[in-house]
Amino acid sequence: MMRAGPSQEEIRRHNLGVLLRHVHLGGPTSRAELTSRMGVNRSTIMALTADLTAAGLVREELPKETGRAGRPSLVVRPESARVYVFAFDVGVDRVVAARVGLGGVILDRRDAPRERGPFDLEALTAQLAGFAHQMLRDTAPDAVCVGAAAAIAGGVRAADGMVKYGPNLGAFDVPFGEELARRLDIGLPVAVGNDANLGALAEHTRGVGVGCNDLIYLHGDVGIGGGVIVGGQLLSGHAGYGGEVGHMVVNPGGRLCGCGSRGCLEAEVGERTVLEAAGRAGGDRVGRDAIRAVVEAADRGDVAAQRALQRVGDWLGVGVANLINIFNPEMVIFGGMLRDIFLGSAAQVRSRIAISALAASREGVRLRTSALGDDATLTGAAELAFAGVLADPLEALARVTSN
Amino acid sequence: MSETTSTDLGVTPAGRGAPGSGPSDDARPILELRGVNKSFGPVHVLHDVSFAAYAGEVTALVGDNGAGKSTLVKCIGGIHPIDSGEYLFEGKPVNVHSPRDAAALGIEIVYQDLALCDNLDIVQNMFLGRERKNGIVLDEDTMEQMAAKTLQGLSVRTVKSLRQPVSSLSGGQRQTVAIAKAVLWNSKVVILDEPTAALGVAQTAQVLELVRRLADQGLAVVLISHNMNDVFAVSDRIAALYLGRMAAQVKASDVTHAQVVELITAGRSGDLGLTNGNGGAEGKEAP
Repeated sequence: MMRAGPSQEEIRRHNLGVLLRHVHLGGPTSRAELTSRMGVNRSTIMALTADLTAAGLVREELPKETGRAGRPSLVVRPESARVYVFAFDVGVDRVVAARVGLGGVILDRRDAPRERGPFDLEALTAQLAGFAHQMLRDTAPDAVCVGAAAAIAGGVRAADGMVKYGPNLGAFDVPFGEELARRLDIGLPVAVGNDANLGALAEHTRGVGVGCNDLIYLHGDVGIGGGVIVGGQLLSGHAGYGGEVGHMVVNPGGRLCGCGSRGCLEAEVGERTVLEAAGRAGGDRVGRDAIRAVVEAADRGDVAAQRALQRVGDWLGVGVANLINIFNPEMVIFGGMLRDIFLGSAAQVRSRIAISALAASREGVRLRTSALGDDATLTGAAELAFAGVLADPLEALARVTSN
Repeated sequence: MSETTSTDLGVTPAGRGAPGSGPSDDARPILELRGVNKSFGPVHVLHDVSFAAYAGEVTALVGDNGAGKSTLVKCIGGIHPIDSGEYLFEGKPVNVHSPRDAAALGIEIVYQDLALCDNLDIVQNMFLGRERKNGIVLDEDTMEQMAAKTLQGLSVRTVKSLRQPVSSLSGGQRQTVAIAKAVLWNSKVVILDEPTAALGVAQTAQVLELVRRLADQGLAVVLISHNMNDVFAVSDRIAALYLGRMAAQVKASDVTHAQVVELITAGRSGDLGLTNGNGGAEGKEAP
């Protein structure tokens, strides 16, 4: 089949995006470095940076000191203070809104605890939009918002950002993105993604999984979410609900899950199970604090807490062993409250993996905790919000400034 | 199987790969001891001990009290000269007679007591005994910059000021400073003796992540610990000492908690470990 190659213009747009992505993810980078990383010649880099500089996306500076002979190469920096996005994170116990500058710098943020209870779309979107408007007031007049995105603990339909199910939030069929965009009222849509999927993306681009193209991120936030990156691409599935490893059935006929099934990984490893097994259900502490208290108690010799962690670690190991066999990942990352659970039950988790995972797959896998910690999902939302401007910088910028 | 607990984990890893039958890509160890013996007078503490540490990996050294872990570490660090056996560094035989020799090779040890001076600040502690000088005066600026760069490289964000005295730091922060001090000297092997022993859960997590990061940055890390969760959370290999003999050195991905506990308490577990638990036979490494 004959197909015309990409036009000059398409190549230029693509290269602009690639260069901006290098600077966005790698921080200030010299022109010489960009030349060698992108494999294009120096004059191309010069033309590309000139375009991006004119658009106000990057600026060029002389490096402080290089310690080397010769004329120093100009350093290209992202205009972090000028080009930003709004990122939102809706967890079970916490909501966050942040203004994140190009280059991934969190310029401003508002955190608030979230009450567990029925999902109130109006109140939630009003709160998040309110935070955004507060932050907007402190923004320099020449700054441009190039996108907005939210991470949420639920299954999100890829086509329209509809939250189809979020049992731990009590959210079902909620037009969250649409409503938040309406309240935000800055002329931009709000992209919505599953929190664990975005966490995976964040760890892949900025966290412990940089340079690792096959990884699985497991996010614990009452339930268990998963994000699977295969060959550098996030696995989204047919409609966007892919990677829900928390609802992999590991124990048929086991504990009842919020999704209606029994014996899901989430039901055997989630917060409720840990607290019940440790004899702490119904206490006044919930969420991360409660999980940490169990790990702390186990460390001090509390037998019930130790048993609870052993049990949960064992099921977590079963789940991870299955994932290792299916995906042959290079890395499995434990984030959210799973970080504490993994560190407190690693002997169980790895024993189960040693027993159940194929030797060929398990010997290369690296088990790690999240490098971005509590900000993994928020960082992922910011990356999602930046996706447009990184794909086609000038076009995306023209779109937002014409509004 | 809803009540599976640790006791069920004594099962040998699935037959699809015998324990220790690691990949053929086993790189050469950066630090290797072969058949090391050490006696103190009539007490024979280390019997034909073999041990290896690899760049980019965490090797856990486990064993009961009195198994010889500290003696082995002190032999590696040049505090106790070895009586017989081979000491190889980067594949070449070396003679290590003093801590200075070990430091010159790039081997640093962080002891349990951390050996930090409470009255000195973080920078002063990190350069203690190896101060940078500019002529005859101390080069404080350079030292502060190097200390800051090292802590930054380790993603340490918990310390507010490099000029605060160590007495004002928490246990986890002290451990962090002691570890940073060890890696400041372009060291290649860092040995940590019970780094999480006195810490709370939150700080233990931070120190474990730091230990992992050191290895991921290319250092060979040797971790001595009694906590099996800590060992399994960060190690790539586990070396178990039993009554002065190396019961086994295995890949962490190939063994279970129960097997490691057996190696520690009985010197053997199934096919692994010493052929005769009471000693006599040579410590066998997994094939």
